[in-house]
Amino acid sequence: MAQIKKKKNSSTMVTLLWTLAFFLIWELIAFWVESSASIRSPEKVLPHFWKIVAVAFDGKTINGTDTAIQLVWLNAKVTLIRSAQGFVIGASIGFLLAILMSLSQIIKKIAFPYLMIIQMIPILGMAPILLSFTGDIDSSRIIIAAILTFYPVATNTLAGMEAVEKEKHELMYSYAANKWQLYTKTLIPASIPYFFTGLKVSAPLAITASILVDTLQGGIGLGCLLSQSLKGAMTRYVFWLIVVISAAIGILSYLLMGLLEDAISSHKKAERACKR
Amino acid sequence: MDTANTETEILMSDIGMKFNSGPDEVTALTSVSLDIKKGEFVSLVGPSGCGKTTLLRIIADLLNPTSGTINIGGESTKQARLDGKYGMVFQSPVLYEWRNVVKNIELPLEIMGVPKNERLERAEEMLEMVGLKDFGNSYPGQLSGGMQQRVGIARALVIQPEILLMDEPFSALDEFTRERLHEDLLNIWRRTNKTIVFVTHNISESVFLSDKICVLSPHPGRLSAVVDVDFERPRLMDIKSTPEYTSKVFEVRSSFEGV
Repeated sequence: MAQIKKKKNSSTMVTLLWTLAFFLIWELIAFWVESSASIRSPEKVLPHFWKIVAVAFDGKTINGTDTAIQLVWLNAKVTLIRSAQGFVIGASIGFLLAILMSLSQIIKKIAFPYLMIIQMIPILGMAPILLSFTGDIDSSRIIIAAILTFYPVATNTLAGMEAVEKEKHELMYSYAANKWQLYTKTLIPASIPYFFTGLKVSAPLAITASILVDTLQGGIGLGCLLSQSLKGAMTRYVFWLIVVISAAIGILSYLLMGLLEDAISSHKKAERACKR
Repeated sequence: MDTANTETEILMSDIGMKFNSGPDEVTALTSVSLDIKKGEFVSLVGPSGCGKTTLLRIIADLLNPTSGTINIGGESTKQARLDGKYGMVFQSPVLYEWRNVVKNIELPLEIMGVPKNERLERAEEMLEMVGLKDFGNSYPGQLSGGMQQRVGIARALVIQPEILLMDEPFSALDEFTRERLHEDLLNIWRRTNKTIVFVTHNISESVFLSDKICVLSPHPGRLSAVVDVDFERPRLMDIKSTPEYTSKVFEVRSSFEGV
C-alpha cells in the first residue's frame, strides 16, 4: 500500500516539477524580452504570466458590459459547445466507419484513400467550401470539428480491431459465434483502448480547429474574439488570456478523455492497484 | 471405464494437408491415419514443422484437410464444432483482459445463450476445479502465467466439451509451474473423463501425461510412430525417476525420423 502511494506521489511530483519548470522558463524569457532593448512592445512577444492572470481578475469592463474574463468565457463556451458537437459527431462516425471497414475489405479499400484526402485539405480551405454548401458558418464550424475528429478515431479503432490475436478469432469460431457476437464480445471491447487513443488525439484537435475556423468570420467564438483582440480593439493581454485559456481547454479535453477511459475500463484500475 | 475406452471418438484416415497451391505449395501433412478413443489422453509430439498443430487445427475444424477423411463420433468436424464438442486451450492463455476471471469463463456460455444464473454457477464450479476459487473477481493482468492458463482450461471446460484440444498449453511456463499443472490436468481429466488431444514438443511431458503418443516427423509432416504409454494411473511425479519412464522417453525419442 505504501509503495502504491509512493508511486502515485512520485508521478504527481513529476507533473508538479514539470509545471513549475514551464512557468519558470516562461518568466525567464519574459524578463529577457522585457529588458531587451530591441523589442519595443514586450507584451506582444511574451508578457509575464502574472500579468495575464491579473487581467483575468481585473474587474474593469473592456467593452462596456463585460470584464475580460467574462468576455473570454462567453466566447469560449460557444466554441466549446461547437467543438464538442463536432467531436461527438465525428467520433461516432469514425467509430462506425471503423466497424464498416473491418467488416468489409472492399469498403476499407474504397474509403481509405478518401479519408486520407479529406485530411490533406487545409482546414482554412475547407471552411469556405463548407460555408457555401451549408450557408451557415456555425454549422460549418461544427462539421469541420467533426471532420478533424473522425479520422484519428476511425484509423485507431480499426487498428485496434485488427490487432486482435488470431486465437481470439479462433475461440469465437470454435464457439460458433455469429458476427454480432464476434463484434460485441471481442472486437469492439478490444478496440476500446485504441478508440480512446483516437479520442485523445482528436479532442484537442477539434477545439483548435474550431478556434481556427472562428477567425474566418465574425460572430461569437474564441477565434472571433482572438481576431478582434489582435486588431487592437482591446488590450494585448486579452489576446494572451485567450491563448492561455484555449491551451488549458485543449489540455483539459485530453485529460477528460483519459478520465473517461479509466471510468469505463475497470480492469485497468484493478491492475494498477496491484502493481508493485 | 473399460467400455468407454473402446469407443472411437476421433477417426482420421489418410489425412493430407497442403498449403498454397501452385509453385509455393507446401505439404504440411501426408497420409495421417489415426483413431483416438473416447476418454483417451493422446499427445501429438514432434519438432516444429512436423504438422502437429496443423493436425490439431484440422480436428478443431479450423482447417479443412486437402485429402482424407475425419469424423468425430460419426459426424463431421464442423458439426462437432457447432455442437460445442470442442474445448480449446492455446499456448498463450488468450484471456479477455477487460473481463474478470469469472466473466472470462462465462464468455463461451454467453455466446451459447446460457441463462445468467446458470452461467455463474458453472463458471464458479470450473474455477473451483482448477483451484482458483478465490480469484473470480481478479483480472487476467493480475494473475501469474500459470494461473492465467488455468483460467484458459476452465474456460475450455465450462461448455462441457467432449474433447479438449490443447496446443502446447504449458510451453510458455516455468518448469515448476508446468509440473504442477501436469498433475492438476491429470486430476481434472480423471474427474471429467474428457478425450484430450495434447500438442507438445516436450517428450517427457507427453510421456508423463499420455495414454498414447503420436510421433510426428517433419518434411513432410507424417505420423512416424504411435507409442502406447501404460504406466499406472493416477500418475505421480515419482514415476519420472523410474527406469521404465526413462526408457519410454528414449523409445519416443528414437521414433523420430529425419530429425
